[in-house]
Amino acid sequence: MKAPFSAYLSGIKPGLQQLIRLLRPDYDYVSVLATDSKGLTVRISRHARSVGSETMTTERGVVVRVYRDGQYSEYALSCFDPARPEAAAAEIRQALDAQLALLAKTGVKPYPTPLLPDEPVTLFVEKETELLPEETDAKPLVDKLSALIDKMGEQSEELIECMASAQSTHVCKLFLTENRDMSQSYVYSEGSAAAVAMREGRNQIGYQSVSGLCGPELFDQLPAAGDKAVKTALELLDAGRIEPGEYEIIASPEVTGLIAHEAFGHGVEMDMFVKNRALGKEYIGKRVGSNRVTMHEGALCAENVTSYAFDDEGTLAGDVTEIENGILKTGICDALSALRLGIQPTGNGKRQNFAHKVYTRMTNTVFDSGTDSLEDMIASIEDGYLLEGMESGMEDPKHWGIQCIIKMGREIKHGKLTGKIVAPIIMTGYVPDLLGNISMLSPHREIFGAGGCGKGYKEWVKVSDGGPYLKTKARLG
Amino acid sequence: MLDKIVALLKESGVHAWELSAVKERGWEFYFIRHELDQHRAKDLEYIQIRVYQLIEDGKFMGSASADLSPTATEAEAKKLIQDLAYRATLVKNKPYTLNPPRPGQPMEAPVDVAAIAEDFIRTMDALPETDTEDVNSYEIFVSDKVRRFLNSEGVDVTERYPDSMIEVVVNARKDGHEIELYRNFTSGSCDSEALKRDLSKAMAYGRDRLRTRPTPNLEKADVLFSGSDACSIYEYFVDRCDPAMIFRRMSDWTVGKPVAEELLGDKVNVFARRELPNSSRNQGFDSEGAPIRDCCIIQDGVVREILGRRMFSCYMGLENSFHPENIEVTGGTASEEELRNGPYLEAVEFSDFQVDEMTGDIFGEIRLGYWHDGETVTPVSGGSVSGSMFDFVKDMRMSREQAQYDTMRIPALTLLKNVTVTGAEG
Repeated sequence: MKAPFSAYLSGIKPGLQQLIRLLRPDYDYVSVLATDSKGLTVRISRHARSVGSETMTTERGVVVRVYRDGQYSEYALSCFDPARPEAAAAEIRQALDAQLALLAKTGVKPYPTPLLPDEPVTLFVEKETELLPEETDAKPLVDKLSALIDKMGEQSEELIECMASAQSTHVCKLFLTENRDMSQSYVYSEGSAAAVAMREGRNQIGYQSVSGLCGPELFDQLPAAGDKAVKTALELLDAGRIEPGEYEIIASPEVTGLIAHEAFGHGVEMDMFVKNRALGKEYIGKRVGSNRVTMHEGALCAENVTSYAFDDEGTLAGDVTEIENGILKTGICDALSALRLGIQPTGNGKRQNFAHKVYTRMTNTVFDSGTDSLEDMIASIEDGYLLEGMESGMEDPKHWGIQCIIKMGREIKHGKLTGKIVAPIIMTGYVPDLLGNISMLSPHREIFGAGGCGKGYKEWVKVSDGGPYLKTKARLG
Repeated sequence: MLDKIVALLKESGVHAWELSAVKERGWEFYFIRHELDQHRAKDLEYIQIRVYQLIEDGKFMGSASADLSPTATEAEAKKLIQDLAYRATLVKNKPYTLNPPRPGQPMEAPVDVAAIAEDFIRTMDALPETDTEDVNSYEIFVSDKVRRFLNSEGVDVTERYPDSMIEVVVNARKDGHEIELYRNFTSGSCDSEALKRDLSKAMAYGRDRLRTRPTPNLEKADVLFSGSDACSIYEYFVDRCDPAMIFRRMSDWTVGKPVAEELLGDKVNVFARRELPNSSRNQGFDSEGAPIRDCCIIQDGVVREILGRRMFSCYMGLENSFHPENIEVTGGTASEEELRNGPYLEAVEFSDFQVDEMTGDIFGEIRLGYWHDGETVTPVSGGSVSGSMFDFVKDMRMSREQAQYDTMRIPALTLLKNVTVTGAEG
């Protein structure tokens, strides 16, 4: 079925259109983004169980963007009364004028930015889903997750805690200007299973996630995730420490996704180009990886948790080829940064929620597949590791340093997996070296979207990333 | 609106309930260099309702929660509460009681958003920038927050406090090469002097980062933490004393037991503090309505009190527990000068330093460190530090001098011994 667009947003739309008309004489540009996203969350562990309607992206509110004298400003409010748009208009003018008075008092000069174009666009998108989170009876889901953690816990006495979570969000957004009327409704879901094992007072955690552009029907995949989480936790109890050094590695699709995200995800967010904060700006058209490396980014290049029809500035979703055969082609860009750089926006202007500013953000960031089998990759390695499971990552777009915390490595000696596991692993290095050494890629490709991504240490948004198994060299510790 | 919701909750017949409402009036200013990229204002209200139901004659208790939009009608609120009442019967937890009303002093701080924002803007304008070290961009966030918490036991607490944050990116350049350092400061209001001091230090680090050598392959070394990353080390101690960790056997720390079998180094003291100067979390009550008090969590390396949220506190019979917001750590026996003796790596900038409270693992890629070999000091970068807090707690050293990072006042210097240092030399 189609995920139905929010009746609440449809109801306040005439009031918002009137608000735009009321503000327009005072400003050269006025846009409104209104959101109404509902969710379902079930978290089950041995000792704590809960059901909720809040997810990372549930929200209801309105943000108004205006432009005057080369300056953009915004006002976010959670209580918009569609019967009294004139009250909201007065409130917005008063608050923004008070800020301008402070800026004048302190002598702050604007960073001049051109006027956003406002070509007419009318769009109404309702994407397919089997179930809606707000209408799903939580009971079968609670029962399913409870049975799952019971089954997980039965597998070993060394398991001290098992956890399963399921979250589904029905996103509805309305974007309006004088000339644009854009509505979208879609459902995405994510779930995870985790197992904590303990031996001699030391804990290890196994974790596995699922995600997709679909409703709570996704959670049928959780039992398999639970089995993998338990297996990982128990394997980690026997893990040794790695001898630090440079190794040939095979990144599993999850680790490949982490590399994509940290290496040329953040590194080509073009609001960073505006601030001269990214080395990528100087490398457009130049080689940044081996000729086997092709990477895509965009809401349209995969179907996962952030595959929307338009972004939070009313720009249509895109599919950008960032790297083609090792050559950096372009980056991703929000609308204001595009104006400042004199390029077209790519549909990557995203907000944490209506109350937050737009930044250039990732959507789906994915390495293209290759033709090499995993078996051939393993056979080609004399001394190295197959890396599995991601913990976290951090990039340095100015310096192209990268840090990836990885769950575990499976030792490979003389072309064979030895059965020995090392954990945890910190992979560090220089992005062009890491990508430049990519020599094999598998046909198999997976995409992961269960996590969140921050800009610096804030502004959390949903992203997904992934790719195939890939072989390269990296420094491991 | 809140009175209406309370009335609906009382009428609903649910076993227990909690209602949390936050009103936030905020101003934000975004700068590229010192030019204004964008300014934003916000007027927000968030309402969260949690409903509890007893199941199987009180053998279990379940809960369900939801955000209620402040634009919701009475009918929508009623429907939401009905849905929560049903959903709460679906999950079976061991029963516990909500916080009863207890004496405490709610925070009521006057907040002038415009004045605080002006302090930040003027402070940033007055930084001692040079031709080679300056500010790339910064973002100022200032909010006036009013938080009200009510529950079915009769708790009704309202607190008002300022909540500020400034994110700053500092550049340093030399011979056509430029690097950046990232800073994110949270606080109550603007502490101009502290901000100038910390950003001046960041610029000095930027200068040094441009003359670094690859971190040597030290294999094992003593590592000195002299910045805010050390907060993660002390959060490990606080987390291991959380009833949610202990009850679920993820931490084996208990009252009266030392944090390690044999403590050879300094013995850590950890205190919960109701207030720290200009902390962004100076609050009289935690988010579940429990009064926050000054108390000792760890004394001389021995756990003295288990503190955390209500559910697991109740399970462990800890009636006076609360979730600590501000933490102070003491116990250092050495001066800064004494700690800086002998060979050690001083790590001052990481990509993202992390301490895993469950496994005890620490990680961090070194963006700037100083290798003190006993005679010379060499700025280094690249490579990483790693190891386990299970081992480090046995023999860590701390300075007597302290430094405060928003909600944490900790020893100015922390020395972890025998840390694995993976170098970046070819």
